Amino acid sequence: MLYILLILFPVSMAASCFVLRKRSDLVVWAALAALVVQALLVAQIPLDAPSRLFGITLTLNGLNRLFMFIFVGACAVAFVASWHLPHGENFFPVMLLILALVCSILLLQDLFIVSLLLIGAGLVAVLAIVDLPTESGMLVGTRSIGTALKYLVLMALASVLMYFSFVLADIYRPGELPGRVPLARFILVLMALGFAFRLALVPFHTWLLNVVEDAAPMVSALLVALLNSTSLLVLVLAFQSFPMLLDENAFALTLLRVGALATSLVGAVLALNQPTIRRTVAYLIIYNCGMVFYGLATVSEAGLQGAIFEAFNQAIGVMLIFLSLGWFERADVRQAVAPRRDLLRRWPVAGLGLLGGGVALLGLPPLSGFASKMLIYESAMSWGVLELSLLLLATALALLGLARMARDWLLGPSEDAPTLEPAMLGATDLDAPFEPRVQPQPFSSALLTVLLLLFCVGIGLYPQPLLNTIGEVIRSFAFVRVL
Amino acid sequence: MFFGIEINWPILFLGVSAGMVLLLRDWRLTVPALLVNYVALALFLAEQQFLIPDLPLFGFEISTTVLVKIITGAAVTAILALTALTFSREYGLEELNEFGLSELRRAARAAQRQANQPFRLGDYVVPFWSMVLALLASLALPRIYPIAETPTIDFAWYWLGLTGLLTIATAADVLKIGLGLLLCTSSLDLLYTAVVSDSEASGVGIVPLALLSLVTILLALVIAYLSGLLYGRLKTLELNELFKQG
Repeated sequence: MLYILLILFPVSMAASCFVLRKRSDLVVWAALAALVVQALLVAQIPLDAPSRLFGITLTLNGLNRLFMFIFVGACAVAFVASWHLPHGENFFPVMLLILALVCSILLLQDLFIVSLLLIGAGLVAVLAIVDLPTESGMLVGTRSIGTALKYLVLMALASVLMYFSFVLADIYRPGELPGRVPLARFILVLMALGFAFRLALVPFHTWLLNVVEDAAPMVSALLVALLNSTSLLVLVLAFQSFPMLLDENAFALTLLRVGALATSLVGAVLALNQPTIRRTVAYLIIYNCGMVFYGLATVSEAGLQGAIFEAFNQAIGVMLIFLSLGWFERADVRQAVAPRRDLLRRWPVAGLGLLGGGVALLGLPPLSGFASKMLIYESAMSWGVLELSLLLLATALALLGLARMARDWLLGPSEDAPTLEPAMLGATDLDAPFEPRVQPQPFSSALLTVLLLLFCVGIGLYPQPLLNTIGEVIRSFAFVRVL
Repeated sequence: MFFGIEINWPILFLGVSAGMVLLLRDWRLTVPALLVNYVALALFLAEQQFLIPDLPLFGFEISTTVLVKIITGAAVTAILALTALTFSREYGLEELNEFGLSELRRAARAAQRQANQPFRLGDYVVPFWSMVLALLASLALPRIYPIAETPTIDFAWYWLGLTGLLTIATAADVLKIGLGLLLCTSSLDLLYTAVVSDSEASGVGIVPLALLSLVTILLALVIAYLSGLLYGRLKTLELNELFKQG
């Protein structure tokens, strides 16, 4: 019963929010109430107690429960932030539907169903990308439509590839026909391609760039936080379901690690010289996706622990960054062409949030990414100094990218410094030029930013409970024990 | 038998209809071709008896799942055909500001200019050679890399998958991208039903099949929605206009 409620309750609340979508305040409260109930339901479900429903097995382990809490928390942050940030008419129903889908994915063990639900989540996400605010006088931007189309095609293709690989894995039996590419390798290649699209690995990362640039900030944040993390957990489930694929594919695993290293390096290099904050942030996220995938591709206990912890950290960091970014873009009353160099001075809390989120993605102490990065570096060390050096180089370059972003847009001198010009004869106060008044960051938005920052610091200083939860589940994985 | 040659009619219709989707540009031809493709796929599945027949219909015994696939195909085709017939998501024009209205007028003029362009054979060169490539690959791959029990099944799913992929790659408009994606899901459907129903595999599940049908319909709906949005914005479905504007 609880399983069905966990899946269907957000769906029913999404329908209610859709009906009430014109009444923004009411919808926010309804959506937040739905999240509270959803969190209670997650807490009520017993761990590792499988249940059968329509011939399929539903179960919840400690790791998936942790991520469900994070997803509910991320949605709560986005919903509260939406009081002051621009969002589409259907933002709440769409996000509740996506939450229902990711919760279903985390409960299920059947990879065929999971990959179809991932397609479903991608299709629903398309609606959020092209969403316009209620009674907006604007047209949907052609860039948004292009981004939505690209996202749709790539996510559908990714899921098709994943589904193909799961079908082939289902009939795979060890022992190969001579003279043809081993089926195990073919399956792993299909699987890797599918997940490379989903996790925005280079060269399949362009959708992430477009989504970050063209979608509303909270939509981008939730798509990255919810769907990327869920895809990672599905990949772990696939490895767990077909451990023999890894056992017979040492070379292919090396290629996966190389791909992950290339993603981190390319993301970090490209973050160095981008014309906008959004693009810089997008490349920092791509760098981080590479790090997460590297940890997974090492198929070691430390690497896997680091990858999953890093995915958790990515969800928090990305929420923090987009919360701040959304505020910068909304509150800037100056003309769009005006250079923006003093964002930290104008909105200190949002500025700190952006910097904090960036630092968390990079894994600098004392924020939450530090422990996960150390685990990933530790697993890289077991594959040689070269791989560790490349990861450290990528992080150093990403740090430079973040520093450049801070210098260009955050830490510059105030642009509103009064110019001391002699008063004209007979001039009055009314003749003085109009000074745009800077809107202060609202209390709720500032409080959210501070709480997220404190959460990041708290996890950074005391990561042990999370590491224990993740480690306990990972040690039960057959493929980690075998390799 | 046809002139002494044994012809597998469902496979023939499956192949020709997928080829038409890849080659042709007019939705009046490609959308009906997609319907033929779904019917041919259902007939092929019924013929191969991957699923146990459990439903007597017009003197034939067919599987309920096969019937569901025909219904899904009909629903998908109806969604796309209705979208194509009524291409217009009219934004409440009274809610638009002056800039929005003038943009719409400009888009309508550009679309009119484009609609008046004459037929060009050059537009079909790339899709034609793509089709030839897909055909060669679909004939060769079942021998080089057999997956299913018979080469016919392998040809069918390779052909659907490759034509779908190449339709997406060569598409000039949004609707055609949708048709390509739907061909890919058909390929997936066939592979799943044919391969997982094998005695050595885990067996076909009702929930994955039902979900696949649901996802196919949802995909058609999202394509229809995006087509409507794009048409409402640019008065055309052409991708070059979309990315030129973007």
